Amino acid sequence: MTFDFSVTRTLSMAKKEVRHILQDPFTLAVALGFPLLLLTFFGYVIDFNVKNIRLLAVDSDHSRASRQLMEVFESSQYFKLTAAPSSGQIVHLLDEEKAKAVLMIEPGFGKDWARNRTAKAQVILDGADNSIAGTILTYLSGIQAAALKKLSGEEFRQTITLKTRFLYNPELNSQWFVIPGLTVVIIGIISILLTALTVAREWENGSMELLLSTPVRPLEIIIGKLAPYILIGLGAVVTVYLAARGLFQVPFKGNHLLYLVACALFLGTTLAQGLVISVVARQQALAIQLANITGMLPSLLLSGFIFPIESMPRFFQIFTSILPAKWFMVIIRGIFLKGAGLLDLKTPFIALFIINVVLIFIAAKSFKKDLEP
Amino acid sequence: MIQKIINRIFKNDTLRGFIRKEFIQALRDVRMRMLLFVMPLIQLTVFGLALSNEVKNIRLGFVHAPNDIVAKHLADRCFASNWFIRPRETNGDAFQWIQSGDADAVLVVPPGGLTKSIEEGKGRLQLLVDATNAMRARSVENYVQRILIAYQKDTVTTTANPDRFSLDVRVLYNPSMETAVFLVPGVMVMILCLLTIILTSMALAREKEIGTFETLISAPVRTWEILVGKTLPYFILGMIDVPLIIAAGMVFFGVPLRGAVWEIALSSAIFIATTVSVGTLISTMAKNQQQAMMGGFIFLFPAIQLSGIMFPLDNMPAVLKIFTYLNPLKYFVTVLRNVMLKGGDPMVVWSNVGAMAVLAAAALWLSFKRFHQTLD
Repeated sequence: MTFDFSVTRTLSMAKKEVRHILQDPFTLAVALGFPLLLLTFFGYVIDFNVKNIRLLAVDSDHSRASRQLMEVFESSQYFKLTAAPSSGQIVHLLDEEKAKAVLMIEPGFGKDWARNRTAKAQVILDGADNSIAGTILTYLSGIQAAALKKLSGEEFRQTITLKTRFLYNPELNSQWFVIPGLTVVIIGIISILLTALTVAREWENGSMELLLSTPVRPLEIIIGKLAPYILIGLGAVVTVYLAARGLFQVPFKGNHLLYLVACALFLGTTLAQGLVISVVARQQALAIQLANITGMLPSLLLSGFIFPIESMPRFFQIFTSILPAKWFMVIIRGIFLKGAGLLDLKTPFIALFIINVVLIFIAAKSFKKDLEP
Repeated sequence: MIQKIINRIFKNDTLRGFIRKEFIQALRDVRMRMLLFVMPLIQLTVFGLALSNEVKNIRLGFVHAPNDIVAKHLADRCFASNWFIRPRETNGDAFQWIQSGDADAVLVVPPGGLTKSIEEGKGRLQLLVDATNAMRARSVENYVQRILIAYQKDTVTTTANPDRFSLDVRVLYNPSMETAVFLVPGVMVMILCLLTIILTSMALAREKEIGTFETLISAPVRTWEILVGKTLPYFILGMIDVPLIIAAGMVFFGVPLRGAVWEIALSSAIFIATTVSVGTLISTMAKNQQQAMMGGFIFLFPAIQLSGIMFPLDNMPAVLKIFTYLNPLKYFVTVLRNVMLKGGDPMVVWSNVGAMAVLAAAALWLSFKRFHQTLD
């Protein structure tokens, strides 16, 4: 077989695909609007810091100590205190979603404190949302220390003082964590979704047979069809980068070239994945569902974007290693915030490279097999 | 009246044939059957098992001399808690340990050791935390602080007795704070939504794309028969998935079902009616399957994010909160969580089901109107 590759033919394939995209307002909306939507959403809408927790305070004691305790809760700025009328229907108020937590101070709290006995107050939490409940628990341990200090008027003298240095993100700005990660999510979703549909569409319409009977070579078809999506993917990378630097002031400490290489590697794997899906599915309805299951949900949920991989059970920590999104996430965050170099990131780079090669091999193979009668 | 409607729907041969055709079309492909009945279970299992926002398995580096007794005790306490694990050893300094990604946090004792430093009355301990993940970093500091306080309480007598005040905390509904218990109802909403909206809109768009839509119009069937015939199968398929997913959640993850089953059935029916209508609406605007799918996506993605399934909506800016009131997913996930975890408070259930019913009616009316227009 002679190697025969024509740039002109490939370009005309690409042109045709671009015209397809431009004529289709829906695809255009997804390609352009989707990155912006995600950026606004994760940049401005989602607040990972739990604050203004609705706390009902039931003070049946009405002593100086009980009032002081409520002041401690209020001044912590985590809680929004409302006085509850009676203690009869506490659980009911949580059932109705009127509050996230209830503070109960029984009669005798002030007296116990004054007599140097253990003064007890109770907090009842709505544990339905375990992550909010977990955060509240952490706050409560701080409140306990603050309350002790306020009630007794003296400090709990520590023999060991802890000084913490938060590296890479000293102000613990959660946007610095989320926004760079969006690169992974946006590329993962857009390119898998769009490529999964393109080839499946040609098969379903029967125009693939038509294309194959023309002098255009299969390789030219693939490259020509994918080229516009590579551009869309790179456009998304640039958009997120500019938004991160400009709008959210996320520092970029690493090497730009390394960043670009990583993006290209990841883009390659997602395009290959989309291609495999569209060859296997051959039907758009099926292709899109497969793209959702193998592309969108993993890159959003199993990549470590929000839910940390370290907290997953052992099996999933290993299982997620076959997902390119996981490795790319490590690379992106490392380059952006830590200024990590190739040496620090050798494991994720090697892993991503292997996945890339394997996926492209599978894509080429399945596409070739598909073309044989 | 109702009898008449039922007769018109169920004793209608055209419609029956139509529905049968649609079922056959949806289910004849093995891959499609897998997608409808097996995939939801796999998704539920994966997300139920894997997703957890608890902070654990923190790799804490702790270097101290073997004769530094206080540091040794502290290290023992850290690794005895379930939060910390030992990282891979390193030759470099504490900073490099974190930079290389091998450790999430490193405790650094002062020169000369912690024991000596306490004897001198200083007792300073430094904690370096990798704060790329800001949320995780804050928890790491909190955990170390807690261990330190507990250690000092046990070993040092201070003027202020820390036991004089105690907070007794009770966690309701999900006492062991399992992520799965919270997430499973949400994942169920997501799966139902993805399946019904995309399948409905694509089924209709497919007829347009292939050109069979014209045949349908010229056939002696009425508009509502086409609409019901094309959408009812997907409604039924969605309703079959509901008990399937709930049963899996209960068996695999011990998600409780504390409320009434009929409340779930009713709210699911209203919800799926809404999503199927939205699917129809999208298909009336799309020319082909790809457009239908993109349209479904444009609706679904913000709807999922603004539903409270994964992220709390409480701290959202007021402008965006308005959108959440138009979001059927938000109402459905609220009802499901309230019924399954809290036993179903009538006020919560009925206000949310009511809002959902209004949205369903609006979506049904709109989709019917648009559908009628496309036919003319």
